[in-house]
Amino acid sequence: MKIPLSWLREFTDVQLTAEQLAEALTLRGLEVRGVERWGANWSKMVVGELLEVGPHPKADRLQLTKVRIGDGPILNIVCGARNIAAGQRIPVALVGAQMPDGRQIERAEKMGVASEGMLCSGQELDATDDGDGILILDPSAPLGVPLVDYLGEDVIDVDVKPNRGDLLSILGLAREVGAITGAPVAYAARPLKEGGDAVAAGLALRVADEALAPHVVLRVVDGLNVAASPDRVQMRLKAAGLRSISNVVDATNYIMLELGKPTHAFDRAKVGDTVQIRLAKKGESLETLDHEVRSLDATDLVVADDRTALALAGVMGGASSEVTPSTTSVIIESAIFAPTSVRRTAQRHSLRSEASHRFERGQERRLAVLGADQVAALLTEWAGGVARSGRLVSGAEEVPAATLNFRPARVRALLGVALTDDEQVALLGTIGISAEAAADATKIVVTPKRSLSVAKGSARSVRVPSWRSDLEIEADLAEEVARLYGYERIPTSIPSADLPPHRPSPTLLRDRVRRLLADAGLHEVVTHALVSAAQAELWSEPTALVTGSLAASEGAAGGASIVLKNPLSADHDRLRQSLLPSLLDRVDANLRYGATSGAIFEVGRGYGSTKGVPSEWTRLAIAVWGEREQGAPSAGATTWNLDELKRLLAQVAHLVGERPAYGASIDSAVLHPGINAGITGDRFAGLLGELHPASPTWRDEPRVLLAEVAIAGLRSGRLDVAQVSLPPTTPPVTRDIALLIPAATTVGHVVDVARKSVSRATAVELFDLFAGAPLAPGERSAGLRFTFQPSATGADDEAITVELAAFEGAVLRACGARIRGVEGQ
Amino acid sequence: MDLAALEKQLRTLQADAATRISAAASTADLDELGSSLLGKRGAITEILRGIGALPADDRPKIGVVANEVRAAIDASVNARRVALSAGELLERIERERVDATTPGPAPRLGSLHPIPETIAAIAEIMSSFGFVVSEGQEIEDDVTNFQLLNIPEDHPSRDLWDTLYLQEPGRLLRTHTSPGQIRTMQAGGAPIRVILPGRCFRYEAVDASHGFEFHQVEGLLVDRGATLADLKGILDELAKGLFGSAARTRFRPGYYPFTEPSVAVDVSWPGSKDGWMTILGAGMVHPVVLENGGIDPETHQGFAFGLGVERIAMLRHDIPDLRAFLENDLRFLAGFR
Repeated sequence: MKIPLSWLREFTDVQLTAEQLAEALTLRGLEVRGVERWGANWSKMVVGELLEVGPHPKADRLQLTKVRIGDGPILNIVCGARNIAAGQRIPVALVGAQMPDGRQIERAEKMGVASEGMLCSGQELDATDDGDGILILDPSAPLGVPLVDYLGEDVIDVDVKPNRGDLLSILGLAREVGAITGAPVAYAARPLKEGGDAVAAGLALRVADEALAPHVVLRVVDGLNVAASPDRVQMRLKAAGLRSISNVVDATNYIMLELGKPTHAFDRAKVGDTVQIRLAKKGESLETLDHEVRSLDATDLVVADDRTALALAGVMGGASSEVTPSTTSVIIESAIFAPTSVRRTAQRHSLRSEASHRFERGQERRLAVLGADQVAALLTEWAGGVARSGRLVSGAEEVPAATLNFRPARVRALLGVALTDDEQVALLGTIGISAEAAADATKIVVTPKRSLSVAKGSARSVRVPSWRSDLEIEADLAEEVARLYGYERIPTSIPSADLPPHRPSPTLLRDRVRRLLADAGLHEVVTHALVSAAQAELWSEPTALVTGSLAASEGAAGGASIVLKNPLSADHDRLRQSLLPSLLDRVDANLRYGATSGAIFEVGRGYGSTKGVPSEWTRLAIAVWGEREQGAPSAGATTWNLDELKRLLAQVAHLVGERPAYGASIDSAVLHPGINAGITGDRFAGLLGELHPASPTWRDEPRVLLAEVAIAGLRSGRLDVAQVSLPPTTPPVTRDIALLIPAATTVGHVVDVARKSVSRATAVELFDLFAGAPLAPGERSAGLRFTFQPSATGADDEAITVELAAFEGAVLRACGARIRGVEGQ
Repeated sequence: MDLAALEKQLRTLQADAATRISAAASTADLDELGSSLLGKRGAITEILRGIGALPADDRPKIGVVANEVRAAIDASVNARRVALSAGELLERIERERVDATTPGPAPRLGSLHPIPETIAAIAEIMSSFGFVVSEGQEIEDDVTNFQLLNIPEDHPSRDLWDTLYLQEPGRLLRTHTSPGQIRTMQAGGAPIRVILPGRCFRYEAVDASHGFEFHQVEGLLVDRGATLADLKGILDELAKGLFGSAARTRFRPGYYPFTEPSVAVDVSWPGSKDGWMTILGAGMVHPVVLENGGIDPETHQGFAFGLGVERIAMLRHDIPDLRAFLENDLRFLAGFR
């Protein structure tokens, strides 16, 4: 809401500068978006006086003028306008001035005569719509002063919050300013002289739905001369951010800004003899003022005559009854419409107007009559109209004044400030919330659903002004007390009341994982959860991977992709299931930025829907490509490979006491079918592999490796306290077993069998793997090292031997692997 | 063999040993020589085997001589070792010398993303006032995201949030972390001190200060006596924690449907560019919201606040464009060590 200060001053005295006022309003909760000086772009333009106006010797269409601009030399200026005469005061653009449209004013020869400046039209100043004549100023305009100092205007732009529809008006803002300055606020209604026939002669009002239109007022003004508004009106509307249309339309807009009351003027000649307020009929359509033909819904409230819909009530008028230059008589409609109905209609037709904005926020009942009368008064003043006597009125003009009780002690307890009962009541009085002498004020509205009775004398009563429909409960008054007292004067303290019991942070493990990976040289990323259809199709996690308690704590992936109803773009129209597509998108971006190597990870969520029930799960995803780290000058760089990625995963899994177990390969659109594995486990499960060569991100060099895992406790878990036994003094012993693994068996399977069957081993590591001649094709020779911790007596030596022998049998049966030799000490 | 002959043998050995010891070229040679003279099967031991043939009276005498000889040889071996090892050490040092001034391999430069790190910083500050972290769901319903927060359907305050809706009727992506207030109250009841960080979504065109995905941290305190003054005290501490102890705060009335009174908080700190910067919205929890959370607004009260993580991170790290956070350019991320 843009407030020209001169307009504000019509209702209250303002001594503050625009900046001081902006600061004061901000501290009262009226956020000021900006302060502008309207007219500040009139550089080197001053008020001048025409001394002489005479003919141009060579051009009939031009005139020669002599212009005085104060004490300086008289200027000779050539002018093409016809509305000028000696003695007038006019705006003069001096040589060197820049016009609002960017044009530079220079000393110029015009048909052989030098011109030392330019006389300006309202249009050239971007002040009015008149481009034909020079803007004639008041004879009292001070000569020689910069034009901006005379015609310019300070404008404060206030961000009005949705609960304060009353502030969408100059008068409403004036009330807030008055509460700040202490100056009185008064609205002097323009007197209206009525004449001619009564409104009711030849016009009827019928309101079909009083719930949607509880109060409607019509007036008729005849004898109009539709033309441009007076210059000062045009300039004021422009400063307030509205376009001038015609004196009739401007009158309705002027009152809308002044009082916050939208009204509408219909061309009387285009409207039948009955104005109806009714719901639209099925199949009905209406061409609105923006020349869109809209098919109406049966819940749209319309203003109509006996034949057809004329306007969307409270939203926009219709083209058929629009005021035109030939209009001579208008019906002014000034009504109270149900806010929800107006809002739904405006939303349905994507048609938000200045009027609907105000109707949605609620309208003060008494403004219907006042608004109609004030528009009519302006039409008699600006357009020579004659207001017919009387009004057509439906519904009550006033609603009973609301009173509200509050407990000053409760306000003190809520705000933490020692304001006496009387001080609180006095503060409320400054904004028109006046004290009521109600000795038996006992009913307190805590919430709209909950009221209670308090002891006599503990509550005070106030009368809520008709424009403050936002004040409904006790807490609303507490806010007004705080606001009027000033938040800056409320003390600061630290809460001392009861603390909730301790709960560990759900991010304990997550933060450990993140730090571990960052220390290992990876960069954490945060990527879009919203992805494209193509990205979503690239991947879905096989549901069998994360199961049991791990799925319960971290969320089980699966179900359908969740698609938005109103996406911003097809690139982000659904929620991701896997983090990998978003990560790959960032790999791609960084490759474009020249990062030939990189390592990134994200801890984030995937989303899916099963039978309409949405779920969210938490995963760690990793993407690495290119050099793992820059090598020493002598050693050369090492490149990311499956083993280095596994080392990283093993470090992460170690945080939850698990060693990743790599199993069968994953059938996936994103992973290389020949270079990937699933990871299964109770506390750590997922998958890893190289990027699929068919992926759009794939390139020959560098190769990209990926992993996505669920980790027990990543979402909300705590770190387990490790249970540790003291080691015996005897040193650990190792046994190395060499095996021949046939082509059909995976190494992962053999290691899995080893880990499960040799329960006494504290570690089982693959320390050697060889393929090629002299082995058969696909056959591999693997070296497994088992580490044991013998007891102090060494008595379990035999048990170890038995277990290893059992393993040898098991691995032959389960995997077809033969033992080549055993070594150890 | 008599005493004299044995003694002579020992003396000859001593003289011979002295020559050989002084001729030893390395400590290794010396060690070998030493054990060949003095060891269990060394020359002295060999000579003393003849002792059995001596008369009993002479045996102690030859023992004295043998000890003298042994001590003398031992002393010269030690002396020679000192001389040799000093030289050998110098030689070893020269042999092993490298140019240790090379710059060394590049460090592994990992980083933690500023968004989760800013959340962690806020959590850390608030933990000192007893606030614990809790995380909610991102897929919400209209009831919890709006209606229970005192934002009815068809109310103009809905215009404050442009919403991304799911195709499923009534479901949406949370537009703020505030529904977590309701879920926290319903789950546990008072007293409550909690912060609720997380990802939020809005139907919003992307520019330098807006995105359709962003992060917020919600804070909620409910007990029997928390006041607006307490709100000011806590949020002043939060601002100082984030922007330095010299930071100043300004509290002014704001508007949120779920708080009453509502507060907007501005902060200014030495070096801040534009005077007062609005960093968060807050207020005393609206009685309707307490009621909807199952808490009696007559016995309990409290305050809530919400802040935009991207905005805080931009101000703290002097980042002019929030699109950088989702861009994840490694050159940008490498700045966050």
